[in-house]
Amino acid sequence: MFKLNLKIALRNLWRHKTSSFINITGLAIGLSACLMLMFYVSYEWNFDKQAKDSDRVYQMMTNITDNAGAITFTFNGTTTALGSVLKQAIPEIEIASRLSYGRINLIANGQNSFKKTACFAEPTLFSMYDYHFISGSPATAMANPRSVVLTETMAKTLFGTADVTGKSVRYDDKEDLTVAAVIKDLPENSSNRFDFLMPWSLYTILDPGAREVGWSDFSYLTLVKLRKGASAEAVNSKLGPLLKRYNNGDQQHFMYPLSRLHLYGTFEQGKSVGGAIEQIRLFVILAVGILLIACINFMNMATAKSERRAKEVGVKKTIGANRLSLIMQFLTESVVLAAISVVIAIALIELCFPMFNNLLSIKMDIGYFGFEIWAVIIGLVMLTGLIAGSYPAFYLSSFDPISGMKKKTRSRGFFSVSLRQVLVTGQFCFTVMLFISTIVIYKQIQFIKNRPIGADINALVELPQDGSLKDKYEVFKTMLLRSGAVTSVTHSSVTLSHHGSNFMGITWPGMTKPANDVMFNQVLAGYDYIKTTGIKMRNGRDFSEKLASDSASLLVSASAVKVMGLKNPVGTSVKVFDNQFTIIGVFDDYIWDAPNKSNNPMVIRLDDGVPGTIVMKLNADRSFQASIETINSITKQINPAYPVELKFVSSVYADMQHGEKILGILSNLFGGLAIFISCLGLFGLVTYSAEQRTKEFGIRKVLGASVFGIMRMLSISFIKMILVSICIAVPTAWMLMNKWLGKYEFHTSISWWVIGIAIAGTLLTAILTVGVQAYKTATSNPVDSLKYE
Amino acid sequence: MIKLENIEKYYANKGLKNYILRHVTTTINAGEFVSIMGPSGAGKSTLLNIIGMLEEPTYGLYEFMGENITQLNERKRIELYRNHIGFVFQAYHLIDEMTVAENIEAPLLYKKVGSAERKSRVADMLDRFNIVGKKDLFPNQLSGGQQQLVGIARAVVAQPAIILADEPTGNLQSAQALQIMELFQTLNKTENMTIIQVTHSEANAAYGSRILNLQDGLIIK
Repeated sequence: MFKLNLKIALRNLWRHKTSSFINITGLAIGLSACLMLMFYVSYEWNFDKQAKDSDRVYQMMTNITDNAGAITFTFNGTTTALGSVLKQAIPEIEIASRLSYGRINLIANGQNSFKKTACFAEPTLFSMYDYHFISGSPATAMANPRSVVLTETMAKTLFGTADVTGKSVRYDDKEDLTVAAVIKDLPENSSNRFDFLMPWSLYTILDPGAREVGWSDFSYLTLVKLRKGASAEAVNSKLGPLLKRYNNGDQQHFMYPLSRLHLYGTFEQGKSVGGAIEQIRLFVILAVGILLIACINFMNMATAKSERRAKEVGVKKTIGANRLSLIMQFLTESVVLAAISVVIAIALIELCFPMFNNLLSIKMDIGYFGFEIWAVIIGLVMLTGLIAGSYPAFYLSSFDPISGMKKKTRSRGFFSVSLRQVLVTGQFCFTVMLFISTIVIYKQIQFIKNRPIGADINALVELPQDGSLKDKYEVFKTMLLRSGAVTSVTHSSVTLSHHGSNFMGITWPGMTKPANDVMFNQVLAGYDYIKTTGIKMRNGRDFSEKLASDSASLLVSASAVKVMGLKNPVGTSVKVFDNQFTIIGVFDDYIWDAPNKSNNPMVIRLDDGVPGTIVMKLNADRSFQASIETINSITKQINPAYPVELKFVSSVYADMQHGEKILGILSNLFGGLAIFISCLGLFGLVTYSAEQRTKEFGIRKVLGASVFGIMRMLSISFIKMILVSICIAVPTAWMLMNKWLGKYEFHTSISWWVIGIAIAGTLLTAILTVGVQAYKTATSNPVDSLKYE
Repeated sequence: MIKLENIEKYYANKGLKNYILRHVTTTINAGEFVSIMGPSGAGKSTLLNIIGMLEEPTYGLYEFMGENITQLNERKRIELYRNHIGFVFQAYHLIDEMTVAENIEAPLLYKKVGSAERKSRVADMLDRFNIVGKKDLFPNQLSGGQQQLVGIARAVVAQPAIILADEPTGNLQSAQALQIMELFQTLNKTENMTIIQVTHSEANAAYGSRILNLQDGLIIK
């Protein structure tokens, strides 16, 4: 029976090529979009969940409080002292591990040097992440302070092979380390990634901050792993009283599951309020929505064909078919269709995956050998088949034999027609909403992009100041300026765009509060900072090499002046921590953090010795290409041990909108697909409706109906449905998108033209789709249509 | 085999009863070949549909093989279709997506006949109706007469007690019609199959053993 059903299903597909094409194309695109989004969702969802015990691993978080005790900021930095205190005082904690933030450092095998992500950690880290050791073992990998663990790719990059245990590499052009182990590359979707890992014991040798066990430097991460069955809440409640003994309760810490941090990493008042998960939810809705649109196409086509199928149902019932066997037959048909579509969908995904990865700047691959993936794909086929086939199956199988064979279905078609209208309306609702969202997201991205940065970032390049560039900065600067490649050079403690080195220890004359509770951002800069970056000065002047007193002077941002309430800022003396500084200039605020946020007040201090980033303004009179080559060769000459990493500041700023970019790309892509699938469905429906009414139109034409009149008759009902869906979709989208925009401190508005474009665009596409078919029908010769029967 | 008592069928339209059948009372015994005749609109097809349980009478008693089936649930009705009744239609109503052999096999599938037996019975039918060469063709590749042969083969293959034929030759040329009627006669004579047909044609009616004449819903003879 099943075999016969299968055969009939295939024959049916073959016989009705147009509708099969529409169904399969729609479903294939819908499925591939859905699968692709699902891959992305599962990639994000499985962040930090690869380890066996990942549910027991927690990240220590720190709350920063203001004077009133309210939490102003939550972040994952902790002090060096925290880890061991926790381990000793709280029995539920099985192990604790301190580790450094991943940072880009030099690693070399002889002349082969690369800048890769380095990390320092305590050996206990190995029991939190299930690193797969290719050689070496967790027990011995960190026994010797001067050892290093390489990832497979790192080992191959350095040595060309993964079998490198015992060999020597040079770290940061300073330390010779022995490779103690090689591990498989870390999954892309994990935090705390590194290319090479070094023991904490080495860190304490190299870094004075790490050596000192204290409570004041929040530059380290602490991970803890609880014992089996231990309650995180219980541990969290013990933390407050415990830590009071060590730091008078100034610091509030809490544990947060590491595996949740990636998706729920936005904290307000010390509580997680979401984060990337919101985008993930959006994508799930998008995925399901697109698949539904494709399923609706299938249902609509099936009900449109119902008249023809009704006869078959009637006949089968008289030769002994019961309802169940008919339902099974229709479901088989839709599952077969879904199966064919999924094959095409997988091919499509294969084709698009590299592009997709590229667009989103991630690295996913389809694990064709995983059991889950096939379970998901097969599950999706069954589900799609069932959803798409359910309506036709249950509806058609209910026909009674007599009316089925007599083609009386139209009289009882009221329900089917109205349901079809509901489905089409729903489909276009979703489409119009996507359309509007796409334009709004695009507009917001443009808005942020066009927001004046406040600095002249055109032709501005930056270079990390490491190795010999630290000591030979002056030489480097002189050589660059002499070469003519650049017009101005400066350096600063952080790059122009950075996450802020926030502090509150500033006092100024006329302060009303006992202590400052506004976060200030501090940048240490060398000479020519303002000149190079093009930040606009409001009052006063830049640091000058001619004035020795400038070492005790300060540049402040306009918003800092506002916060301090100074009438004549220039010349005012303020205290930063314990040092007295004189304000010599006020500059306009510029965007140094995410462009959609309003940045906090900022001060710039002169420190010509601090290493960080070198910023250069390219000479506008020469070609950038030539200038960059000059810079490269000069850098290589002065700092041969390090690769040259020159970056355009403008691209750094562009990268900051990564999240929005992903959202923009995905909504563009999938919005477009949704519109395409919906129109495909519409085309199918019009085709069928035209076919059903061929005779009617033939008669009407013989009676003198015009081409336009017939086109209008055929199109008007569809256009009406779309108008209804626009009426529903526009307010909904308006509301949702306003909510979305509200998340950004700087945001654009939804203008009327956005709605106008969406409406016009949808209507135009729909009218074109319907119109083409309607025109074809209307202009056909009436004799042809009247001849048959 | 079939006992009809006072069967009435009407449609109520704005309080007026629109009668299709009135006081139809008759008995059809096993092995009879009955032709229902009458002018258009006399209620012939409705009567056949009621006998075939495709429609329910508004009023009256209907016994099929000694069983009262005036009100019958769906499952029981399908049971009867599978085992006792074969339908032949004027428009053949073959299933377009199935080949000739598959069309003939379909009732056996629903009856859950074993695979080997199905094969042999289908082969038997193809042989008997001289359509072996056509078994892999689809209905739209056959002439009307051939399609009706397949339709009858499909009705007969499940070995029903009774065949209900609604103008089986209505769409056929006279030569083909002759062939079909002779086939019915053979089935009736040799296999003792009960046959009820609706027809317009006196000639066709003559093949039967009895004629029921309907006029305006009444049996007049």
